[in-house]
Amino acid sequence: MKGHQLQTNHNFRTRMAPVMPSLSILLGPALIVVGVLFGGGLILGILQSFGYLHVAAANHLSIQHYLNVLMDPDFLESLWLTLYIATASTLIAAGLSVAVALFLVTLAHKNRLIHFIIQIPLTVPHLVIAVAAVFMLSPTGLLSRFAMALGLINTSSQFPLLINDRWGIGIILTYVWKEIPFITVMILSVLSNTGIELLQVGQTLKANRWQRFRYITLPIIFPSLGAASLIVFAYTFGAFEVPYLLGQTYPMMLSVWAYRNYSDIDLLARPEGITTGILIAVIVSLTVLMAQVITKITRRKGIVL
Amino acid sequence: MGSLKIRNLSLSYNGGAPVIEKFNLDVSDGECMGLLGPSGVGKTTILKALAGLIQPDQGCILIDDVDVTALPPEKRDAVMVFQKPLLFPFMNVAQNIGFGLRMRKINGAHKQSEINNILRLTRLDGFGRHKVHELSGGQQQRVSLARALILRPAILLLDEPLSNLDANLRQEMRELIQEIQTKTNITTIFVTHDQSEALMMSQRVSLILDGRLRQVGRPQDLFYRPVDPDVARFFGGCNFFTGEIKNGQFETPLGLFPVGQDLKKNQPYTATIRPEDIVISPANDKHLRGAILRTNFEGAATRLWVQCNGVQLIVLAAGAQYKAHQNVSLHIPPDKIRLFPKNV
Repeated sequence: MKGHQLQTNHNFRTRMAPVMPSLSILLGPALIVVGVLFGGGLILGILQSFGYLHVAAANHLSIQHYLNVLMDPDFLESLWLTLYIATASTLIAAGLSVAVALFLVTLAHKNRLIHFIIQIPLTVPHLVIAVAAVFMLSPTGLLSRFAMALGLINTSSQFPLLINDRWGIGIILTYVWKEIPFITVMILSVLSNTGIELLQVGQTLKANRWQRFRYITLPIIFPSLGAASLIVFAYTFGAFEVPYLLGQTYPMMLSVWAYRNYSDIDLLARPEGITTGILIAVIVSLTVLMAQVITKITRRKGIVL
Repeated sequence: MGSLKIRNLSLSYNGGAPVIEKFNLDVSDGECMGLLGPSGVGKTTILKALAGLIQPDQGCILIDDVDVTALPPEKRDAVMVFQKPLLFPFMNVAQNIGFGLRMRKINGAHKQSEINNILRLTRLDGFGRHKVHELSGGQQQRVSLARALILRPAILLLDEPLSNLDANLRQEMRELIQEIQTKTNITTIFVTHDQSEALMMSQRVSLILDGRLRQVGRPQDLFYRPVDPDVARFFGGCNFFTGEIKNGQFETPLGLFPVGQDLKKNQPYTATIRPEDIVISPANDKHLRGAILRTNFEGAATRLWVQCNGVQLIVLAAGAQYKAHQNVSLHIPPDKIRLFPKNV
């Protein structure tokens, strides 16, 4: 038996040995491209955030730009707006996704068309949805005209401001519409695997509808829902094109604020723009890290994602 | 504890062809009834209907003479244990077992004492705080059983709970379920496709073939006195030969056999005899003679295919002394022959 074990290990080593270098060689070109373009850009960005700006002859490194950005009231306004929009759109999308997933899981084998329709937003780029939102939700958009045709309003100015508005309604609606299918698909895969059977177990163990949702469905979907929501939060927090098109001029979301600073005619505003970008990246990275930690903890507890 | 009555139950999926048609069954208080049949015959569907997870197309279900057909599962006094343990992965063993009590808002010392009692009964002492993924398959199925038993249901529904376990574990679990059923006296419906499991564990067995209930009775009745050739075949009957009743005897190519049953004269009948009931011996002149076509060693016995007067018989012989092409003598005990009208 021992001899057999040794033989197996030996075979494993000899089989794996040539594989390792060939993998590095195969992945090498791709890694170099990613490393130079992404890593180089990142290093350059970090250097600029610390004050290194060759074109402006600024070569002294300091944390001054971080202090400037963090103490700037505009940054804090943008940070709160960004947190509000990312949190609101994530929570609304998560809540609606749970409802949609619970509805879909009962249809799993009955109506594949509904499944397909609900997944359509996954394929549509954010930019397209943002432009569609302008056509639909602006004061002169389709909804406004429809309301006028129905006699609900007399002029387009009476139509509530849904884009470029103070509460970021247009941005939130766009992200909710776009992210619901993503979160739903994540939850649905868990629910379809064992969820239905566990709910049947719950039924025979005398759990009523609410108890089944509270004590079975929620714990089952929580790891997937949490991870998916954190991903959505991170994406929404750092996304640019939708708030750029649908956001108000002040305060702006952080990504737009960073871009405005970076593209400012004053070259010395550029480091603060890039510093904001780095801060966004740090917050997003921490969020993704949190999603990973949640996933690992739940897996260790035996919950399959 | 409770009695169960099923009346004219018809079940189908999505309005398609009926899986079960006009199914009737009575189960007495405290009885362990085996629901036996080949895979896909609708046994689990019946169990799900009893649990309330499927609504029947027709018929009614009475628990303790109360019609529960329209009641949802949570309002019925029946608990189901599924084929897979289906434990809640986010709860430990004790939390899984106490789930039903928690749903009934029973908490505190009483709940803990009930959990401890059930842990003892299902031989899971000391496992209360274990995570369910740390348990073996057999232990998981015991938790699943404990989770159902703690509610002390009137009817316990077991849907092939042993089918995912290996042979040794299955035997251990059979004994445990029997012991628990005897101790608790809970009316139990036990679904299985394994005939030996049904015969061993049930006080009575209901055999379902082709969506219909074919025979209900004590395990010995189904095994030794099948009502038709299909039932005999299901229980391993493999020797069938035909003949006619003449002068009070059953005349067949294998000889004349006296008949004890009240049978019509000059009517064709199909006879069956179990392979282990045929007595085989080295060739002699006293008995029916035959030649062994082939043999198959099965451990405790050897299966022999014997050609005898144009009829092929299968015989189970103890040991492994017989070889292919050997001439042998057979004795077919008349009292072990079972006759069915040929058109059945």
